[in-house]
Amino acid sequence: MKQKDMGPALTRRTFIKSAGAACAMLFVAGSLPSLVRPATAAPNEKNINDVLKKQFGNKNVTMSHVDIKAPIIAENGAVVPITITSDLPMRSDDYVKKINVYAEGNLEPYVASIDLTPANGKAEFAMRIKMRKTSNVRVVLETSKGRLYGAAKAVKVTIGGCGG
Amino acid sequence: MASVGKIKIRVPNTIKKGDIIPVQVLVSHPMETGMRKNKDGSVIPAYYINDVDVFYGNDKITHCDWTIAVSANPFITFYVKADKAAPIRIVYKDIKGGVYEQAVQISPQ
Amino acid sequence: MSRLITRTLILVACACWVFPLGAGRYALAGDGSTPPGIKEYKPNISTQEYEKRYKAVYGKFTEQMAQEGNPADFMLDDGKDLFGKVEGAAGKSCASCHGANGEKLKGVAATYPKYDPELKGIDTVALQINRCRKEQMGAPELKYESDPQLALELYVKSLSNGVPINVSIAGPAKPFYEAGKAFYYKRYGQFNFSCALCHVKYAGHMIRANLLSNNRHHADHWPSYRLKWGATGSLQRRFRGCNKNVRQKPEPFQSETYRNLELYLTYQANGVPIEVPGFRM
Repeated sequence: MKQKDMGPALTRRTFIKSAGAACAMLFVAGSLPSLVRPATAAPNEKNINDVLKKQFGNKNVTMSHVDIKAPIIAENGAVVPITITSDLPMRSDDYVKKINVYAEGNLEPYVASIDLTPANGKAEFAMRIKMRKTSNVRVVLETSKGRLYGAAKAVKVTIGGCGG
Repeated sequence: MASVGKIKIRVPNTIKKGDIIPVQVLVSHPMETGMRKNKDGSVIPAYYINDVDVFYGNDKITHCDWTIAVSANPFITFYVKADKAAPIRIVYKDIKGGVYEQAVQISPQ
Repeated sequence: MSRLITRTLILVACACWVFPLGAGRYALAGDGSTPPGIKEYKPNISTQEYEKRYKAVYGKFTEQMAQEGNPADFMLDDGKDLFGKVEGAAGKSCASCHGANGEKLKGVAATYPKYDPELKGIDTVALQINRCRKEQMGAPELKYESDPQLALELYVKSLSNGVPINVSIAGPAKPFYEAGKAFYYKRYGQFNFSCALCHVKYAGHMIRANLLSNNRHHADHWPSYRLKWGATGSLQRRFRGCNKNVRQKPEPFQSETYRNLELYLTYQANGVPIEVPGFRM
């Protein structure tokens, strides 16, 4: 009887131990992206962080004031509708100067940039973009005062499906 | 799509002065990436719109810089503060030198 | 001896499977007839329930995109030009008989496909346009799924926009309707699927990342712009795609089978207003 009780307890303990070890391994792997990435990424795929760093330097991007509307599942990655809205002011002394759009999974993540002026009245823009695979859509807004605001939204791109 | 560079602009029917109105524009264009191959295996050369300008009267109010990652038959919605009676003119330029433009008159009441 | 009995039993069981005795107990799609030799399914969920699920899975993006800007609108304009273009030996255009803006064709497409005594079969809009071109105009037939053919079909159908579909299966159309239904319910292809299996029995379930659609709105919006194709196409192109997916040899455009199937499917959409050009995933 006693032995029967000990059996599961022991396996549970070993299980927790091994799970902990696995978690630790994952943590180590996650903290060394430079070691893990080359194996999974396509040879000429660019990292979004490098692209952003190249474009904006070490400037801080505030992840607020921007909203991206995009479908959760895109049936065709070649046509993904996105709408970018922002509640930032559009006054002549302080307005959203530029919207930069990135699709992280694309070979060239930079998709488009849109220059706005106070005459637009509202920092909102909708367009349709191509996405190579399931990844984040990322937006970085530049204001006329030089501040950066950003947002990201995940879109699942399904390939194939019904009705060829 | 057989034709390239046809433009459809849609604005609200009634516009009050000072309204912020949505302008929806659709243009027919293949937006080839230069990465696709046709049936005999040769690469279809890149052919896409890379530059969009929007004028309201004489002022350039919006400019877009596009890459291959904008969908075929590009569709955009942008907003304009309708504070004067003037045409909204949109000009598309593609990398083969094609220029397509169309205008719509805005007359706020 | 016992082996013989077993064999007989198996045979009887097979016969029951192929010719189900209880076919009458399924409440059916309203036409009250069952072609012999097929097993009908009870719709898994109602159309309203399906639409709820569709919204939950996909949201309103396709609908919104259709309202904002449908690339097939350019094709519609081309179709209007073609409608007024004089072609062929008779020196006529579509507009010379049907009115400059197609006034006389208003609501006509809502009654198609229908039985045609000359064809001794089912006539579709696409087929009728080509017959008209050949017989009345003396012009060459348009190749199916080519840009001008789709454009013209799109324009002719758009003249009936908003008119509820009113397809008749009475009289001589009945056997063709039943042939269409038999095709819809019969299992085909390497994967052994029937149309009805997915779109009646399992409608509203997921097939991997896709929601299987209910057949109520399958025939009301063609020719339609499809995101998957990135192009405009007809209902019969969609049939061919579906057939290929179940590893069945697709039929040519406007074949008898596909015309019958189009009649069956359009009858399912009776009462739904025509809405072309469509915009679908």
